[in-house]
Formats: sequence, C-alpha cells, structure tokens
Amino acid sequence: MSETAYEPDVTIDARGATCPGPLMDLIGKVKEAESGTVIELLTSDSGSKNDVPDWVDETDHEYLGIEEDEDYWRLYVKVA
Amino acid sequence: MPGYAIVLASGKLERLQAVSNIASIAAASDVPVDVFATMDGLEAFDAETVANGDFEMGPIGRAMLEHEEADMALFTENLERARDIGDIEVFACEMSMDMLGKDLDAYVDLFDDVLGVAGFLNRARDKQVVFV
Repeated sequence: MSETAYEPDVTIDARGATCPGPLMDLIGKVKEAESGTVIELLTSDSGSKNDVPDWVDETDHEYLGIEEDEDYWRLYVKVA
Repeated sequence: MPGYAIVLASGKLERLQAVSNIASIAAASDVPVDVFATMDGLEAFDAETVANGDFEMGPIGRAMLEHEEADMALFTENLERARDIGDIEVFACEMSMDMLGKDLDAYVDLFDDVLGVAGFLNRARDKQVVFV
C-alpha cells in the first residue's frame, strides 16, 4: 500500500467494482462510522473521482482529497 | 427531498441497471425510493431469467456482462443492497402477474409487496415520478 498524507482510520477496497459499487461501499461505511473517522476508498472506477465529492457535497461530511496510483485512485472522506 | 417513485416498465438490461444504480444511491443517501416493476420490467425479475442472464440488451449491456476487469453488480443485487442500508421499497405489478398466471414466488426474492395502479399512485403522490 502506498504512503498517504491523510492517515485513514478505515480502508475500503472497492477496486474492480463498477458504479455504483464503490460509492455504495463508502455510504455504508460512513453510516456506521463514528464522527471524525477518516475513510480511505480504493477504487478503479474512474467515475468515483467525481461521484464521491459530488455525493459528499450534499452531506455534512468532508471530502479531504484524492491520490492517484498506477491503476486505481485513493479517495479520502472525513465523517461528520 | 420527498423522494422518487420509479415506474420500471422496460426489461432492457441497460435500463434495469440505470434504475438500480440511481435508486440505490438515492435510497442509501436517505432519499425515499419506491420502485414499481411492471410489464417487461417485472418479467426481468423472473427467477429463471435472472439465473440465466437472459435479458434483452444492447452493446453496453453485453459489455457490462462480459467485461473481465470490471465487476458489475446486477440490478437485483444493487436493489437488495440498497434495502440493507437505505429507504427503498420494491413492488410488483399485480396486473402483469395476473396476465401470466404467476405469483411472487416466480420472481427473485426482492419484492416488498404486490401493488395495483391505485396503490402505486397513492405511494407516488408526494414523490417525483420517473418512468423508465
């Protein structure tokens, strides 16, 4: 696993799954996580890059950022 | 957000997938969703049809089923998962079932109930209706 600046508490590996799998995984985890939890979402679905921040926009949670690896992305969300 | 009442009347795989994707993310985001499966849209949930992957589809549907690197959850799995974490109910059209002499046992175990047009309209009254 690559180094990240975001210090995640939980990692969801949704690599290989297509829309809406990664976002569903994230929402499921966000719902059960405690406030302040930083979630790392690994996804190879390029749609997640826009879909995750768009979803977070409509919630009280915080989108921290994205990091790119060779064939997947790591997205970070902090639970409100 | 009052929610969506989706009339699913098409048995085409691309439409089934699109409905399940949007419905499941909406429901998981606490937007209430009703799905009313009718006509060809209901028959796509026939247990045998689902088991055999015997859907009407175009090039995108075929690509979704055959893609080797991407793992696509079928519309039935999306809806089932949405029920676990969100506010969604799925109904089967009574008239469509009557025409074929079928009952709910013939379909995948996903439906909350059987509904007629009046029942659907009652549920849809405060929601945005989407016809697919």
